[in-house]
Amino acid sequence: MSYCRLDGTTLSLSGQWNLAHIADIDAELGAAGLPASPIRLDGARLQGLDTAAALALLVRLGRAGATIAGLSGVNSSHARVLDAVRERMDDGAPGVRRRNRGPLAALGIAAVKFGWKLHCHLEFLGRCVAALGEVARHPSRLRWKELAAQLQHVCLEAIPVVALVTFLIGMVLAYLFGMQAEKYGASIFVVDAVAIGATREIAPLLVAVIMAGRSGSAFTAQLGTMRLTEEIDALRTLGLSPMQVLVLPRLLASVFALPMLVFVGDVATLAGAMAISDPLLDISPLTFIGRVDSQLAFRHVAVGLAKASIFGAAIALIGCRAGLTVRRDAHSIGMKTTSTVVQGIVWVILLDALFAVLLQELGI
Amino acid sequence: MSAAAAIEVDAVVTRFGTQKVHDGVSFSVPRGQIVAVIGGSGSGKSVLLREIIGLMRPAAGRISVLGTDVLRATEEELTALRRRFGMMFQDGALFSSLTVAQNVATPLIEQARVPAHLLGPLVRLRIALAGLPPEAAAKMPSELSGGMRKRAAVARALALEPELLFLDEPTSGLDPVTARAFDQLLRFLADELGLTIFVVTHDLDTLLGIVDRAVVLAGGTVIADGTVKDVMRVDHPWLRSYFANHGT
Repeated sequence: MSYCRLDGTTLSLSGQWNLAHIADIDAELGAAGLPASPIRLDGARLQGLDTAAALALLVRLGRAGATIAGLSGVNSSHARVLDAVRERMDDGAPGVRRRNRGPLAALGIAAVKFGWKLHCHLEFLGRCVAALGEVARHPSRLRWKELAAQLQHVCLEAIPVVALVTFLIGMVLAYLFGMQAEKYGASIFVVDAVAIGATREIAPLLVAVIMAGRSGSAFTAQLGTMRLTEEIDALRTLGLSPMQVLVLPRLLASVFALPMLVFVGDVATLAGAMAISDPLLDISPLTFIGRVDSQLAFRHVAVGLAKASIFGAAIALIGCRAGLTVRRDAHSIGMKTTSTVVQGIVWVILLDALFAVLLQELGI
Repeated sequence: MSAAAAIEVDAVVTRFGTQKVHDGVSFSVPRGQIVAVIGGSGSGKSVLLREIIGLMRPAAGRISVLGTDVLRATEEELTALRRRFGMMFQDGALFSSLTVAQNVATPLIEQARVPAHLLGPLVRLRIALAGLPPEAAAKMPSELSGGMRKRAAVARALALEPELLFLDEPTSGLDPVTARAFDQLLRFLADELGLTIFVVTHDLDTLLGIVDRAVVLAGGTVIADGTVKDVMRVDHPWLRSYFANHGT
């Protein structure tokens, strides 16, 4: 199939010049040896011409330095397509070039960006505290219904998964400790280890990780979607503060819910350990409960519950902050949700390590 | 150009639960014309459009686009058909994580064999054909105004040289000057490139200015079908208030 033929200074076009054949047309034009002089176009045998093919012709002519001196036999609609494309063609100047920066400039930009991010995070924290202060003075301004709804999502609906996971971990812990302790005839200390370890460390940490994945991501996705659909802007224009309406209920719900869930976790972990201690270590449930009663000091449980509140606050703040900074594209919301979960888990573990050192020094 | 109609809709019935949106809608769209569907909000215009392009299935009826029976076609036939028409969604539906140029290039890269050195000029031509300034190419959809987003969507719909272009409320949200320029673009595409254009619109200026035929939906059926002059003569309460409200 031939699309074009050059006779002296006349280029004859034939066949269907359209997008489907653009690769062949372009190749033929490239091989035709177009002269760097004015040429005439003969379109008598041209069956169709679309804008893509017209562009291919004009680009090839332009590159060869040829100009169109005249048309012959080109029907009016093809001529108009040619004109339409010629009018709208640019000279190929790229719009925006990204500047290449040296490593020092890149470092500087990164530092400024980091500083600005920190500034924004601090501002967000400040706004949260201000909103909390306002609610403390006027408790009626808190969205109690929203708080109740969030408590249901964050706390009640999480109970089954928290109970299941901690129950299984309790079994695993008792089994692992039991294998070792049995060698020394010290089986009964398994109860001490599980009781203290679970209430002080394991349950708060596990619950916080589950909540970072479950509620932190939900906060980001909810607030992020509301930002995409301009609902947050709408709230502002209605004179409502997104902090009061959206962030505080989620923050308070997390702060209250986490200790409750950790308590559920404590009980489930001990139940798991108790369930396996009877067949494995010959520790009857009654003995188990008695031992827990005599060995588990209240301060261990209290430390676990107190830590949980702070984990809850961290997760809620990270989740809400990420949600409110979603940019207006589909990519952003997924990235922010991922970052909430990752940051939530990292911060929970960092805080936990901090508490371990702090409480050790304080002797609690 | 074959004599057969570009779109044929025959006795289409659509239900949402117990609510009947279309109760026997029939009309046809001749090739090379601009045909507008008008009707009140909730009269099922957008639903009809989605059914024609195969995104939704009606409960009963027959729809044929460019000679392909949309409701009975295999997935391959539908894919082949989809390359032959372009669609502009109401809010643009641009891919939000790609620039305008990348949005326009996507169908070209996926569906057409375009030589690498022509891809850039072709994308810029589409952007210019849709009436966007060249600087818009490097922008993200979120950085564009509503009107520019619509034009970018048209640029993407035009990417594959479609024979048939569907537009869902193309001029809503545009200022009158831009809207008329947009109308002229549609007229140009129909006259010069031989495109068939099927447009769902509320815009009376579009209707009176550039549309060849109008189909009026009300109460689940077609109450008028013909040239704009014919349609204006039809005596129906909705049509009377439609033309009266626009102060013609």
